[in-house]
Amino acid sequence: MTIDGNATVEITTPASPTLIPTIRAVASDLAGRADFDLDAIADLRMAVDEACATLVDLAAPTTRLRCTFLLHSDHIEVVAEVRAGRADAVVSTETFGYRVLQTLADKVSVQHVPDPAGNGPTVGIRLHKYAGDAAP
Amino acid sequence: MSGADPEYGHLVPLLERYAALDPDDPERDELRDQLVRGYLPVAQHIARRFANRGEPLDDLVQVATVGLINAINRFSPDRGSDFFSFAVPTISGEVRRHFRDLGWSMRVPRRLKDMHVSINSVVSELSQRLGRAPRPSEIAERLGVPVGEVLEGLEASEAYRSSSLDEMLSSEQGSATVGELVGQADAELARIDFQQSLRPLLSELAERERTIVLLRFFGNMTQTQIAEHVGISQMHVSRLLTQTLDRLRARLDPETRAG
Repeated sequence: MTIDGNATVEITTPASPTLIPTIRAVASDLAGRADFDLDAIADLRMAVDEACATLVDLAAPTTRLRCTFLLHSDHIEVVAEVRAGRADAVVSTETFGYRVLQTLADKVSVQHVPDPAGNGPTVGIRLHKYAGDAAP
Repeated sequence: MSGADPEYGHLVPLLERYAALDPDDPERDELRDQLVRGYLPVAQHIARRFANRGEPLDDLVQVATVGLINAINRFSPDRGSDFFSFAVPTISGEVRRHFRDLGWSMRVPRRLKDMHVSINSVVSELSQRLGRAPRPSEIAERLGVPVGEVLEGLEASEAYRSSSLDEMLSSEQGSATVGELVGQADAELARIDFQQSLRPLLSELAERERTIVLLRFFGNMTQTQIAEHVGISQMHVSRLLTQTLDRLRARLDPETRAG
């Protein structure tokens, strides 16, 4: 990797679809600089797109989408999070969107942190993408 | 199409004379006109091959004619090759450049457009040799340019929306095994819970888009493998997949997604 291991890049945007292209451009730029192969770059880009689109659908109005990229020595880890609008909101894993994430990323999981004040929970998607043929 | 060609054979001596003339010779203009008129059917033929891609045929003929003039100017008969094997790629190249310049959704400097074309031209070769998609460093090494330029070129590729160039750069037909692979992917799709909501949407897609989605998400193939089987470039697969996912996402509203 050309970028020093353990660097972190964080972006927050309004939780609306408008700025998702910006986030996915950052994703493919980081993967390119880390010398991922072209398939892995495109996969990460699409996975980030899918994760952000899923979360924006669940987000409470006027909240923010936070996307954190953790640059490891052989892979990039992405955590995308929003505060959900409804108390019972969850990221469903029984959808085509989740299938897409599972195919594109090497590892994917959902996060769910209830809000102590009884507002919507913080929901997130965490995914790992390896640089190329090292993928498990 | 050798010197004995009845249609173009009489032009060969003119080409030789043209090439031998001094650049300032007043005879050149007239000779060139004669040659352009004589070989015009070749330019028209090539232009027609690129028709039905959303560009008026007249424009294509004009661009192809520019290519023909370039070919006449640059051809040197003493190198032993015949004119057609030089002219056909020169003319097609001019038409491709025309499509390339049309395909950009935002203003991208010419240098980056050229880099996009250069990258595209070595990706499939490298993929075949490596057995996987190449990394930016490998593309840079193959092209003999700094990695930074390749990264810029890749970024510029995202602004490229036309599929026409990619289609021309790659072969016309998919492999005979695609049908079989899609059958396997289809069987995998049938095991999925949400297939009832997805299947009607998939059937609305154009055949090629549907094939690519099935192979990627249910056939477990990489973009590079799909590119090879379907006969288009990896970058084109990537673009088609992104567009198709966007479309599917718009059609699968949150309620349907859950089901």
